[in-house]
Amino acid sequence: MATTKLGFIVQRPGYKSENPKLALTHAIASQSVEIYLNEGDLVTADIAFIGEGVLNCKKDQKAMETYDLSSTESHIKMALLLDLNVLVCREDLERYGMTENDIVIDAEEFGADMTVKVVPYAEITKMMEEMNHLLFF
Amino acid sequence: MKLVAFVSDYRMTVDTLDRLKPEKLGIILVQNGVYHATVKDKGNPSPLLDYSADYYVLKDDLETRGYTASDVVNSKVKVISFGDIVDLMFNDYDKSAWI
Repeated sequence: MATTKLGFIVQRPGYKSENPKLALTHAIASQSVEIYLNEGDLVTADIAFIGEGVLNCKKDQKAMETYDLSSTESHIKMALLLDLNVLVCREDLERYGMTENDIVIDAEEFGADMTVKVVPYAEITKMMEEMNHLLFF
Repeated sequence: MKLVAFVSDYRMTVDTLDRLKPEKLGIILVQNGVYHATVKDKGNPSPLLDYSADYYVLKDDLETRGYTASDVVNSKVKVISFGDIVDLMFNDYDKSAWI
């Protein structure tokens, strides 16, 4: 029995490229690989938004209304629904003049129990040290 | 030359705008360029807003990213629609550039 820990680090703002959203879709997809694993084996995925990547977490994104495009916000909520650990760097939020009130924190409307955690960068570093694989987006 | 430049990135790695010397410059913030109009980095507005230019930001791209017109940090940036961009290109400027 083994657990493989994946860490997805998002460091770019969204939409101009699919890159940050791919981090979320890959993290979400990682939870559907059970059929390929030996019994008892697990894959976990943690997601961290750092640097300009924190701009992906802005709430009230209207991507569906403007471009008929699923929003990065909705992908974050799907990640919460799957109980993925979503971290946002507190220092980088502050750098861009944002607070927890400006970002998506929960997905209560979908029944998700998990919430986004705004944490110091030191905690994200700790998470990265615990991962088996780190993927930067 | 009357030039309108579309800026579609937040992080600018080249100084193309410094080298352009049009008689009239317009800057339209689109895609991730809208962050220049809404985000302050360590409390400072984007240096992109320091040019002697007329500034515009595309409303659709603001709203896509979770912002509204009231989030625009500098009053010299005018929120416009796609239709307004077409009018600007045809009526106010000779050339356009995508930076």
